[in-house]
Amino acid sequence: MYSNKFQKSNYLFLQTVQWILFAVIIVLCYLFETSGSSLKPLVLIPLALCIASHTGELQAMAVGAVCGLLLDLACGKLPGFDAFFLVIVCVVISLLYRYFLRQKLINMLFLTALCTLIQGCLDYVLYYAVWGYENVFLIWQKIIFPSCLMTIASSVVFYFLIKKIAEKCRNRRINQLEKTILSDWQDMQN
Amino acid sequence: MLNFLKSGKCKAVLWVLALLIGLMLYAVFVGGYTISGVGIFKMIASPFQKASNAISQHVEYGLDLYRNAEDYYEENRALREEINALHTELADYEATKEELERLQAFIGIKEKHEDYSMTSPFDVTGYVTNDPFCAFMIDGGSEDGISLYDPVVSDMGLVGVITELGAHTATVTTILSPELSISAGTRASKERGILTGSVSLALDGLCKLQYLDKNTNLKKDRIILTTGENGMFPAGYVIGYVKEVSMDDAGLTAYASVEPASDMKNLSLVVVITDFSGKAENGNVQQ
Repeated sequence: MYSNKFQKSNYLFLQTVQWILFAVIIVLCYLFETSGSSLKPLVLIPLALCIASHTGELQAMAVGAVCGLLLDLACGKLPGFDAFFLVIVCVVISLLYRYFLRQKLINMLFLTALCTLIQGCLDYVLYYAVWGYENVFLIWQKIIFPSCLMTIASSVVFYFLIKKIAEKCRNRRINQLEKTILSDWQDMQN
Repeated sequence: MLNFLKSGKCKAVLWVLALLIGLMLYAVFVGGYTISGVGIFKMIASPFQKASNAISQHVEYGLDLYRNAEDYYEENRALREEINALHTELADYEATKEELERLQAFIGIKEKHEDYSMTSPFDVTGYVTNDPFCAFMIDGGSEDGISLYDPVVSDMGLVGVITELGAHTATVTTILSPELSISAGTRASKERGILTGSVSLALDGLCKLQYLDKNTNLKKDRIILTTGENGMFPAGYVIGYVKEVSMDDAGLTAYASVEPASDMKNLSLVVVITDFSGKAENGNVQQ
């Protein structure tokens, strides 16, 4: 009984620590997005994907919604435009990692590239090309595509960062569980 | 004693004293100039004086440190505290001075254009991420008396219009955006055109004054002002400077590349003109 309580409280504590760290990283990424006027990667996309790859579907959905809304705010887009896209993508990625994919950098790079390019295309078509501006292709060439490339490159950082946090918390949970089982077994022996 | 007074030693002393008095009198009459003998002596003695002076200073310094170390420590601590306080005061002063200089520039706008109703300056809270037309957010909204499509200006020139409005925040679309069309021209030559954004020029931080007469006399560095014809912007406000004049593709009209007077990528403080003479009820923003 005692060990069950102990195990549960530790599990909750580690989960809380993990999500606090994720939240802090999300906020820092948003601040990065909104600072300065230079071209920058949309770091909230790879961050959301990396977190989704380590969590369940519901958590992935929440992360997709939060990161998407923050991205909409930062990019001055219709609120929900990126959130809608990221919710779908994050849930799909969570499922893919649960059933088919392993935690490999190449997998994350491929998925980030795919999502970023789809998001970039949607952004280009619905926000610029549709209005028929003269030389509109320059926006793709000089802003959206370079930003996509930077976003894909930035996913390397988030892949290792999120993996480190998730594994640290998971390993601790496993260690705690092992210790609890061992102490329970010893108690039973005595 | 009497023996001494009668001796040659006493005479020698008196001679020397007389000589010295004479020397003093001579020095007084020479008036500030060094007497040649003394000068030579000083020249020879100077390096030795310096050396001895340096040694004595060193020794005095060491002794002084040893004797008054505690006093110096306390004095040093007090002075450090004082310096820190002065640094803080100085930083406040610098910030206040900078703020004052920036605000003085905005007061100048009001002095030049008495018909304007302007808000207090707002901070630029951030730029829209990766926006090719440099749209940005300000920390003022409808609660501060701002309305949709109100013109936004900096102390240098026209910046854009309010296109999204919240209670305490607003988004400004700049004159680099193709969404805006502004009636503009020069004051002296009465050249008129429509100033709008263009994708290719916006990437270089420029905008386009189009529909100019193909025989236009517009030259580089001429000032482009708002004409106020559509009631969207007040008349006579500086937009920017002509950078280059070219013919359009069809060859029917000319256009000028205009460099905005405000640096759109580095704005920090702007004001919103809420009312001015000749203001229209509805804006002319193409949505």
